[in-house]
Amino acid sequence: MLDFFTIFSKGGIVLWCFQGAGVTESFTGPVNALIRSVILQERGGNNSFTHEALSMKYKLDNEFELIFVVGFQKILTLTYVDKFIDDVQLHFRDRYKNELEQKGALKHVNNSFDFEDRFKKLLREAEESSKARSPPPMRSFEKSEKSQKTVKSMIETKGGDKAKEQGGKKNKHTKKEAPAVEPAKGDQGKTPPSGQKAVVNGNQGLTPEEIIQKNREDFFRKRMMGPAEKPIKSPKPQKPKEKQNRVWNNGGSSAKNLDYSNKNGEASPGDGERNLDGRFDPDMQVSSMKGDLLSVDYESSEEGEMEEEEEEEVVVSETSKTSPKKSGGFGGMFGMLKGLVGSKSLSREDMEPVLEKMKDHLIAKNVAADISSQLCESVAKKLEGKVMGTFTTVASTVKQALQDSLVQILQPKRRVDILRDVMEAQSQRRPFVVTFCGVNGVGKSTNLAKISYWLIENGFSVLIAACDTFRAGAVEQLRTHQRRLNSLHPPEKHGGRPVIQLYEKGYGKDAAGIAMEAIAYARNQAFDVVLVDTAGRMQDNAPLMTALAKLIAVNMPDLVLFVGEALVGNEAVDQLVKFNQALADHSMSDKPRLIDGIVLTKFDTIDDKVGAAISMTYITGQPIVFVGTGQTYNDLRSLNARAVVGALMKA
Amino acid sequence: MGKRTDAEMPENPLEPYIESIRQQLEEQDPVLLVGVIVALAVVVITCVFLKYFLTSKTVRSAVLLVGLCDAGKTLLFIRLLSGKFKRTQTSITDSSAPYKAKNDRGSTWTLIDLPGHDSLRSQYLEKFKSAARAIVFVVDSAIFQKEVRDVAEFLYMLLTDTVVCRNAPTLLVACNKQDITMAKSAKLIQQQLEKELNTLRVTRSAVLSAQDGSVGGSVYLGKKGKDFEFSQLPMKVEFLECSARGSKGDDGVADVESLEKSLAKL
Repeated sequence: MLDFFTIFSKGGIVLWCFQGAGVTESFTGPVNALIRSVILQERGGNNSFTHEALSMKYKLDNEFELIFVVGFQKILTLTYVDKFIDDVQLHFRDRYKNELEQKGALKHVNNSFDFEDRFKKLLREAEESSKARSPPPMRSFEKSEKSQKTVKSMIETKGGDKAKEQGGKKNKHTKKEAPAVEPAKGDQGKTPPSGQKAVVNGNQGLTPEEIIQKNREDFFRKRMMGPAEKPIKSPKPQKPKEKQNRVWNNGGSSAKNLDYSNKNGEASPGDGERNLDGRFDPDMQVSSMKGDLLSVDYESSEEGEMEEEEEEEVVVSETSKTSPKKSGGFGGMFGMLKGLVGSKSLSREDMEPVLEKMKDHLIAKNVAADISSQLCESVAKKLEGKVMGTFTTVASTVKQALQDSLVQILQPKRRVDILRDVMEAQSQRRPFVVTFCGVNGVGKSTNLAKISYWLIENGFSVLIAACDTFRAGAVEQLRTHQRRLNSLHPPEKHGGRPVIQLYEKGYGKDAAGIAMEAIAYARNQAFDVVLVDTAGRMQDNAPLMTALAKLIAVNMPDLVLFVGEALVGNEAVDQLVKFNQALADHSMSDKPRLIDGIVLTKFDTIDDKVGAAISMTYITGQPIVFVGTGQTYNDLRSLNARAVVGALMKA
Repeated sequence: MGKRTDAEMPENPLEPYIESIRQQLEEQDPVLLVGVIVALAVVVITCVFLKYFLTSKTVRSAVLLVGLCDAGKTLLFIRLLSGKFKRTQTSITDSSAPYKAKNDRGSTWTLIDLPGHDSLRSQYLEKFKSAARAIVFVVDSAIFQKEVRDVAEFLYMLLTDTVVCRNAPTLLVACNKQDITMAKSAKLIQQQLEKELNTLRVTRSAVLSAQDGSVGGSVYLGKKGKDFEFSQLPMKVEFLECSARGSKGDDGVADVESLEKSLAKL
């Protein structure tokens, strides 16, 4: 059933592999694809990957730096794979514990990991267990839980729910209120039901509203039903009126009422009913407000405490170890030292608070929300089970791992050297074509002008194709840039021919056609670079997206640059995904041209909220080629991954 | 026992003092005791730290295996260490092991295999470059023509690195996969790389400055005003042919003698 199963070290040495019967193709290619497109792109959140006809699942063992990969045909739905991979990992670790604990990579080279027999056994077991577990037959009505239920039991469940609710609420109450409950209970135990009746009567006298009466009857009936409910109801009789009101007014907050009644009970345990009743009306209002606020307060204060705890954990990894230290004694101090010096493997629970904090930090730095959670998930996967070194805390380990991952994401995955590529095109006697696309107002034309200036400075001649035939003034804007650039680099210095020209056909024409003509013109006139300026378009505008896809499909530019502003937050994901999707959908070829690079504009306006850079590179996997940092032609930069990550991690 | 009492005798005059000190100690707060212990602990920790920092400053004794993805670095690493053949995958982290050079001195180097993937290589190079005694730059000779620009770019990055330039480790360009018939010879690869690096000198010097103002590559490659040649570099450069897989298939021996010889001369 399985095509292959392979165990290799993170250093890339295959320790042991299994190939299914009749599988001839090597698994090296698919597994490499898995590593490159999932593990190295920090998309580790979900652990499966599909490559051509193969489905692969992997598991990282961070303690021994191993990777387990299983592959099978994607048409098969093998339910046991997840458990199987865990089992294999467990057995492999058990069996080769001693070998794997050696230092250095020699252990991978010199030891032979003969896992065949054990693996076969595990596989057989897994396959059998999956066969044995046939889909469960449908239950008949008689077997179902519902058949057991009567109307009565339904009512009881309601009471049970209440009890639960009450219990939950009670837990949340402070120590001050906690003892209040007890005397009330004690009272209840002593007072016979007749006392309760008296209370009810008093109520009746005071408030003759029918609704409340009915309510009270309900209450009574329920009370009679089972002794189990007595403790729940016990506080109620003392303040039935309050309870009844609350139930109807606020629905669901009945438990809170009970607590107020307790309070009152405490305040006047021995008072007569009339006395109580007399105080009820004003008291109820006050206490109800108090109650509601309190519960919110409690939650928030609890959250606050939790946050504090988290922070404590962030600062010192071993909170549990610091607390005994405070209590005094050497054991605590040694414990702390041991915690600091000794090695300890990271668990998910240890990392959870730190990761949560990191996620919030990333979001605060303008990284799109779902991307930051994916990143944190991936970091967690990478660190789980890893043995921490000496003098490191969970927080510092996680932070370091996240930093590495971010650098890794920003690091271009392919060579980015436009000048070299232009020279290559020059030697082939054809112009190098760059298309700019993006949503409205992100600075496509401005950055196009900056890039032309940079190209001209490096001795290339540039033709601008004005394919924004839509927005009023777009062509004039480009003409102004062209004039200014020509005056900066007068033709006399460049052998009498202008270094930059504008190719325009006015407004309302087909953009793809203009671009094609411009490229042909550039070829004839021996221009080195053609920069195609397109109209800004929102990613949801289907007709315009189709037009863009057509322009790119027809003209086959060497580079498709997406211009995005650094101010964008969550929207970055949507923009890039939809642009890529449109280009993929509307190109008629098998290998569609997608976005090849990103121009990040308005970078000077965002201070250290540089998250957009991460969002954009993460989604497309493409490098940020240029960064626009100001208004003048000089304000064009390349991205420094370390500087960006530094700004991002800065608190 | 007699001896011990003898030894204690001369200390007798001190005994009252010791006794008084002990008494004083007992009268003191336990807090003070804790303070003393903490002071001692600080001393111990300082010693540990010192050892840490002193050991980190090691002699350059690492041999780095660098190159693009799929050039055969990991297999070369395995072959150099054990001579065996193992299947390999894309590395996502470095692996290191002590390597005994095949010379009379029996010197031992740390052989480090760096991952070649674009998004990892600069990070790992950063980590190990200061310790490099020699750098083995592995090139896939079979598809060199296709990758020449990427290879040259990586090599340019390596050669213009300030740390690498200062330390000037020996550079061995291993033209791997010579068992494949279409493989280019070392001589041809050297020529093509020189030509490509010459072009790169122009384009890379015109590259945009980074956001923090640092201009990429402050080191000029080779001599100004002359076409680039590897002989102009401050370090020793050697081109050699090898085949980590070997011409006789997976079970055969590797063809890495030339590399081993060069490593022995370090």
